[in-house]
Amino acid sequence: MNTCSCSKSDLTLVDKVLEEYAGTPGSLIAILQKAQAIYGYLPADVIYRIAEKTGNSPAKVMGVATFYTQFRLEPVGKYMLMLCQGTACHVNGSERIAAAIQEELGIGDGGTTEDGLFSVKHVACLGCCSLSPVMMINEDTYGSLTPDKALSIIREIRAKEVQG
Amino acid sequence: MRVIVGEGSCGLAAGAGKVYEALQTKLEGIESASLGITGCVGMCWLEPIVDLYNGKMLAKRLVHVAPEDADDIAAAVQSGDLSLVDRITIRKEDEDFLRKQTRIALRHCGVIDPADINDYMADDGYQALEKVLGTMTPEEVIEEIKVSGLAGRGGAGFPTWFKWKAARNAAGGPKYLICNADEGDPGAFMDRAVIESDPHSLIEGMMIAAYAIGAAEAIVYVRAEYPLAIVRLENAIKQAREAGKLGKNILGSDFSCDMRIKAGAGAFVCGEETALIESLEGNRGMPRLKPPFPANSGYWHKPSNINNVETFANVAWIILNGGDKFAAMGTEDSKGTKVFALTGKIKRGGLVEIPMGKTLREVIFDIGGGIRDDKEFKAVQMGGPSGGCIPASLLDTPIDYKKLSATGAIMGSGGMVVMDENTCMVGMAKFFLDFTAKESCGKCVHCRIGTKRMQEILTRITEGEGREGDIELLEELCAAVKDGALCGLGQTAPNPVLTTLRYFRDEYEAHINEKKCPAGSCAALLTYSIDPSKCVGCTMCARKCPAGAIAGTVRNPHSIDPEKCIRCGQCLAACRFGAVSVG
Amino acid sequence: MSEITITINGKLCKGQQGDTIFKIAQDNGIYIPNLCYHPSVARYGACGLCLVQDEKSPKLIRSCSTIAADGQVLHTENDRIIQARKIALELLMSDHEGDCVGPCRLACPAETACQEYVKQVALGNTREAVRIVKERLPLPASIGHVCPHPCESECRRRLVEQPISIAMIKRFMAMDQLDKADRWKPEIAPATGKKVGIIGGGPAGLTAAYYLALKGHEVTVHDAMPKMGGMLRYGIPEYRLPKAVLDAEIAEIAETGVKLVNDFKIGRDISFEEYRKQYDAVVVAIGAWKSSPMRCPGENLEGVYGGIDFLRSVALGDPVAIGKRTAIVGGGNTAMDACRTAVRLGAEEVYVIYRRTRSEMPAAADEIDEAIEEGVVFKFLTNPDSIIGEDGKVKAVKLQVMELGEPDASGRRSPVPVEGKFEYLEVDSVIAAIGQRVDVAGFDVGASSLELNRRGIIAADELSFHTSLPGVFAVGDATNKGADIAIAAIGEAGRAADVIDSYLAGAEKPYRKPYVSKRVVTEEDFKDREKQPRVPVVNRPAAERRCDFKPVNSGYTAEEAMKEALRCLECGCHDYRECRLISTANEIEIHPERLAGAKHEKFTETRLVAIERDQGKCITCNLCVRVCDEVVGKGILGLVGRGFETVIKPEFNDPAVVAACKDCLKCAEACPTGALKILTAK
Repeated sequence: MNTCSCSKSDLTLVDKVLEEYAGTPGSLIAILQKAQAIYGYLPADVIYRIAEKTGNSPAKVMGVATFYTQFRLEPVGKYMLMLCQGTACHVNGSERIAAAIQEELGIGDGGTTEDGLFSVKHVACLGCCSLSPVMMINEDTYGSLTPDKALSIIREIRAKEVQG
Repeated sequence: MRVIVGEGSCGLAAGAGKVYEALQTKLEGIESASLGITGCVGMCWLEPIVDLYNGKMLAKRLVHVAPEDADDIAAAVQSGDLSLVDRITIRKEDEDFLRKQTRIALRHCGVIDPADINDYMADDGYQALEKVLGTMTPEEVIEEIKVSGLAGRGGAGFPTWFKWKAARNAAGGPKYLICNADEGDPGAFMDRAVIESDPHSLIEGMMIAAYAIGAAEAIVYVRAEYPLAIVRLENAIKQAREAGKLGKNILGSDFSCDMRIKAGAGAFVCGEETALIESLEGNRGMPRLKPPFPANSGYWHKPSNINNVETFANVAWIILNGGDKFAAMGTEDSKGTKVFALTGKIKRGGLVEIPMGKTLREVIFDIGGGIRDDKEFKAVQMGGPSGGCIPASLLDTPIDYKKLSATGAIMGSGGMVVMDENTCMVGMAKFFLDFTAKESCGKCVHCRIGTKRMQEILTRITEGEGREGDIELLEELCAAVKDGALCGLGQTAPNPVLTTLRYFRDEYEAHINEKKCPAGSCAALLTYSIDPSKCVGCTMCARKCPAGAIAGTVRNPHSIDPEKCIRCGQCLAACRFGAVSVG
Repeated sequence: MSEITITINGKLCKGQQGDTIFKIAQDNGIYIPNLCYHPSVARYGACGLCLVQDEKSPKLIRSCSTIAADGQVLHTENDRIIQARKIALELLMSDHEGDCVGPCRLACPAETACQEYVKQVALGNTREAVRIVKERLPLPASIGHVCPHPCESECRRRLVEQPISIAMIKRFMAMDQLDKADRWKPEIAPATGKKVGIIGGGPAGLTAAYYLALKGHEVTVHDAMPKMGGMLRYGIPEYRLPKAVLDAEIAEIAETGVKLVNDFKIGRDISFEEYRKQYDAVVVAIGAWKSSPMRCPGENLEGVYGGIDFLRSVALGDPVAIGKRTAIVGGGNTAMDACRTAVRLGAEEVYVIYRRTRSEMPAAADEIDEAIEEGVVFKFLTNPDSIIGEDGKVKAVKLQVMELGEPDASGRRSPVPVEGKFEYLEVDSVIAAIGQRVDVAGFDVGASSLELNRRGIIAADELSFHTSLPGVFAVGDATNKGADIAIAAIGEAGRAADVIDSYLAGAEKPYRKPYVSKRVVTEEDFKDREKQPRVPVVNRPAAERRCDFKPVNSGYTAEEAMKEALRCLECGCHDYRECRLISTANEIEIHPERLAGAKHEKFTETRLVAIERDQGKCITCNLCVRVCDEVVGKGILGLVGRGFETVIKPEFNDPAVVAACKDCLKCAEACPTGALKILTAK
């Protein structure tokens, strides 16, 4: 069993966040967001530390962390590919993009490639409906996708990574 | 000459960032040129857009601009010969898109630099706040809003003044003002555009509201999916605070109110006001029971008022121009203007602000230019997961809260997704139920399990496994979920099913009884075939087929084995002789 | 605090300002269903069962969490509310993975709580065991001896090795209590003043009498035979059911105040018309006492008897003459009783003629085995073609040789004659045990004629047991499908007693099969179980059995019964009797199967040391979480995920914190279903 005694994350990083929010009630989500920005996801020992310092039970922190789609309990790939599932994207064929990505990367919604390069997540409307179908890879948005266009974007990133 | 690059999320997604970088290089050293940015003008289908200004005058609007166009733009700016960029100048008919609109909430969008408070100030910015703090009592402000007839633009259309008054009159304190910027309806992005393009207008509207209800703190709850909006709003708040537009003793008055942003973390249900409050308090976003209403017991169980972004964006204009001027627009029941995000199979997709009372046809055909590729209009989806699909026969419905509700759809927050003949309406219902089932908070039975069961039934219908009685079962579930669900999300979740059943029942019946998708969209129900009289035996389709389902020899007609066919459509795309058909 | 008045279902109800509608209703004796409400925690409003309607509001409102307003006019039971409630229950049940009761109980035609009494036997408490079985079965010792136990065929222990010996356990516990002075005795409700006449003192009639008497009605049983017991006495031989056991159990029924009248026959001693006039309700439980004819030449010869006629003559102490060689025709339990009785009467050659093979025989397997041990010769795949006589008496049977053809509607392969192939069997008598028919003489006169079905059997409504005549109910072998096993007749009679009670109270409520949740289980689920074969019962040697009518075995000893009872897998839910979900679900008719879809994965976990949590049964009402949070202040449990996938989990990964909950158990006490089971007592 993975208990808090086998801590492996550098907790001093989250402690700084916790200090910043000490005494501000209702900051749990903001703390989790910052912690995730630090660690890339929410490791169990970090959740425990947050619970301890905010006076919440770990069960409550877990409850919050699993309610919102933004939070991740597992590490993700270097490139987070977020495929928009909005109405306009749906009408304009996002399902075909999803299928093409699945075939290319071998992973579906929530998956991470074995080499740790890509994670795929189907997300709620990104609000770029006029460019649908749309995906985001990390901070960059790509619109008016076709299956071929999506694949060439992925392949370009992969080629860049292989080179160096 | 000022060269202004449209840097809303859409523009950036279309490549505005690279265009800006290219222009930066090319314009360097041209003394008459200055490079700047603006937000989203709402002509998203033309992005990236670059505007050339002479002073305050828009001289030329360039569209679909690529980084490679920077040379020509620089040359045009330097020489003053704007004909050099005629090639990428907006076409006359596309200008209709803006000309036919009436912009209040979007009045600064795509016009000012969202990163610069001075740009906003130069365009009447913060004058309404000055007027309110200097000359009006809170009651007078509420009265002015009452006269305007402004109603909640988030979807429900509840009179804004009434909520303000309730919060003002509520006992206890401190009081909170909350902006719901958790724009969750898929297909709606006007709130994002306002924050990204005109954040001060939101801040000003909120400060006026805060004064009216007596709030000491204002919070903007922004979706996590809108990082650019958060950055721009953070910057604007900082500028406004430095300029004394918020914080302690605003504009030298006795009134103090500070403002902060709370980023959501991805949960559609947090658009429901009590769930939003739970989320603000750091909890799972599970709706509370009403009553008590937030006006009496909201954030930290204190009196709280919640409005959405577009609602606040109208406030300063109303104060400056008068409530009666706002009320002069619109219909008996619905006053002022409304912003719509026009998307889907539309020629000109983007942000449309029109006075209430215009018809759907005017928005979709006159402003939006009709259906892409000149296909047949089938329906327009309004109100997102809580709304419904309105068919062609109701295109002349005026945009008005009551009249739209009568169709079974709702005004909603303003998403308007247009569908053509190739959109399956059962598939649309399934799409929305996929969404609500995923987004249900899981608290109440009717929503948690009910939406899941509806989604399962719709899935099997679209997969050709529909059973006799499924339509009736869906109707029964719809009625019970509407009645039994705890919050708005569940109570309205059946609407996409009910409206498609109401207007497109024959499509459901075709799926269930004939195992056919009339729109040709449900993969499991499609049959691909090759017309032997058209097939020349080029073997292209057989080579493309990933399932090895196509047989045939060179120069002889090929055929598809329906048992092996996985309905991927690659053969259809590959055939150059029009021999492959799908039905 | 000021007093307010609201109207609920037309009744004026008083409450205090600030009370919820639910509380005022409860205080005023108006029932509103709910599952997620608990007085000790804050209002929550998840289950949606407490919906009510305010006349002034277009929406339904949650009574558990809505503060009542003075003057409000509310309804709790209109069609719209019932429909929303029904869907809520169907939705809940469609994602509820559990066995309310074990498959044994579901298989029992009388719905006896097998698992519960088996458990009491395992605990050494036969008195409580008998109390439990008598909720449904007033003759447990008798039935324990004779029942072909459909319960055992469904017992899940068979997926491990062999089913539990439920019937043998029942026989033990009932025999153990039979002559105990402090044995359990039922409580009898105050007299209602209503009179019920029951015609027929067999298992059906006696059962109806017992349960109607417990409800306070004045009951008289009339029977045409010299003693009570019906087929249990006159159709089942002494070696299977000692008459003394039956006598003792009938005496217990008489103790409830039931009047027993024998040698009384409708149509002979009184007309049915007259009889009906004497009672507020009449139960016809006359059984099926006529043997079916073989319809072959020679069946009227001297020495040809009906199976039940033969058995009855033995029971009456005046056996018909069967000679030294006899052939019994048929493959059911009556045929087995007849052949083994014939052996005991001294017949030297006893044959059973059956047109199919052993595997198609409807008789219980051990009955067949024991008959073979006792020397009975089975002539499978033969059928009487004709009976050959001499001087008007049976001399031989001509047997048509058969073979098995295609399966018929019942799934059994139909026998077809092998053309021209015959055998001859020299016998002194032929006993035709091929079926029973109902003798409706006396019930077919004038205005009081009972409507019969096409097969000449009394027609009664399957759920109300009401016949074509008002106030006349019919149960057991004499009705609808005809003859069946005793426990089936007892089951019908028990259900009929409830219906008749409601009829006598003025509003007949037909039986509704209780809805229960069921789990699908396969051998795979038990692959880790230790094998533990059933405790055997040793029969007396066949040579000895052949010569007397004493029981074939003496059943289990106390130790054996306890050991056997401990094999029970306890499939049914520990919480069935207290479960608020199932009791609420049974208030209205629900059909969750129409909403079948994805379910939560079923598993149990015991991380909360003192509590076993069954995910399959959890309805996510969140009461455990709320109680742990708000009442106990520990927050050990929490919700994880959202939407349909939401589950409740103990605080993850920290055994130290989880162990802290050891002594409280408040969550399990609050759980409205059996999802949380207390493992250790406080």
